Amino acid sequence: MSAPSRAAIVTGASSGIGRATAELLAAAGYRVAVTFRTHRAAADRVAAAIGGRAYGVDVADAAGVEALVASVASDLGPIALAVSNAGTYEESRLEEVTDDAWQRMLRVHLGGAFNLTRAVVPRMRQHGHGSIVFVASELALIGSDRASTYVAAKAALIGLGRSLARELAPSIRVNIVAPGPVDTPLLPDRDRGRAYVSTIPLARLGTAQEIAAAIAHVAEAAWMTGSVHSINGGVVIQ
Amino acid sequence: MSPDAQAIGRVALVTGSAGGLGRAICARLRRAGWTVAAATHRDGPLAADLAEPEQARALVGLVVESHGRLDLLVANHAAMTMAAVEDHPPDDWWRVVDTNLSGSFHLAQAAVPHLRRARGAIVFVTSEWGAIGWPGASAYAASKAGLIGLTRALARELAPDIRVNAVAPGVVDTPQLDVDAAAAGVSLAEIRDRYAAASPLGRIGQPVEIAATIAFLASNDASYYTGQVFHPNGGTTTAS
Repeated sequence: MSAPSRAAIVTGASSGIGRATAELLAAAGYRVAVTFRTHRAAADRVAAAIGGRAYGVDVADAAGVEALVASVASDLGPIALAVSNAGTYEESRLEEVTDDAWQRMLRVHLGGAFNLTRAVVPRMRQHGHGSIVFVASELALIGSDRASTYVAAKAALIGLGRSLARELAPSIRVNIVAPGPVDTPLLPDRDRGRAYVSTIPLARLGTAQEIAAAIAHVAEAAWMTGSVHSINGGVVIQ
Repeated sequence: MSPDAQAIGRVALVTGSAGGLGRAICARLRRAGWTVAAATHRDGPLAADLAEPEQARALVGLVVESHGRLDLLVANHAAMTMAAVEDHPPDDWWRVVDTNLSGSFHLAQAAVPHLRRARGAIVFVTSEWGAIGWPGASAYAASKAGLIGLTRALARELAPDIRVNAVAPGVVDTPQLDVDAAAAGVSLAEIRDRYAAASPLGRIGQPVEIAATIAFLASNDASYYTGQVFHPNGGTTTAS
């Protein structure tokens, strides 16, 4: 990867995939905005270690995201890359899902990506180019028997990414990374057990660094747009 | 077509029944022997704004109260807007997602106890655009793609009691074409020709063709299908 000396935003970067992505992008020469919602101290540590900057934002809040993007552009320079990664994982049976839980899941995953895109696109257009990556999930492709709200939100994110790839071409590329089971704080303990891991063709969980590498790759792949990058140890083969 | 013995006495709730596709779905299911509760957005006894969870629940409650059971949910209602992402008013954007995706979710949630009892089925009407995306239709495509995820999740979660499948039609001959033509600034004939040219079958679809796919998925002939997305689209997405 070249050393672009441009700014990148990674939402939800205080831990897990977001953190690994921020670290990798910084190593590749980006000035990285590390966003967090609740874990300020962790985000500060990530930002300090990579020479980036931490910003508090709830990605579900459109005005907050707009303000974030304005601050990042002013602090770190033109935004070349935006990675919509912030998210939460919840399990509940259909009958037990509250209206608020459904709403919150959509507002964070789908709304977070929509808000970030709306805010960065005019700036990227101004500079004539840009790259956007949405972090979805393998579960969006295969479903889950216990996380319909999460799956619906992540599948919607794929539809959004495919539409925006068509709409924003040729100046801005939009790609989707759909990770399988990755060893991060979001992974349920059940999925760390042998019983589950032995069903994964590559026989292990993924690492946050491996997903970060996929994100960095699609972010820079100049002829790739609208693609769903399925990195999951072979859990989804179709 | 003669009535299907397994459909006699069984009750289907069809949303979006005032539209071109909705009317065809209701007619097809009735011919197959189903008792159809035809819900609409505005007028009639089963009018409901499905962006509102309470109204979705009330609609299901009303149908079960009237007919004593519910065997099939066809979530066919949809809201649609076209706008560039950076100019899209957030309220309109969410109105589309909340109607199409959340409305379907809340209907399913309310219907599940009844469908379990009946060993019934759900058919979500999604869209080709949900599968492949469309410029200027970010809200609609996101909502319809979300519906595909919801189909796959609920198929797993509700098995083996309830089968859950989706239909993703390509361009269909409905009044929506007038809207598309106006948006593109061309005549109705021109927009028809454009869509037809994009299809290997050389034409757009007819509502009865989509309704037939839905009726199949609802029937016992489809008893081993769950979590699947059917694509009646004239072959437009065969390359993707």
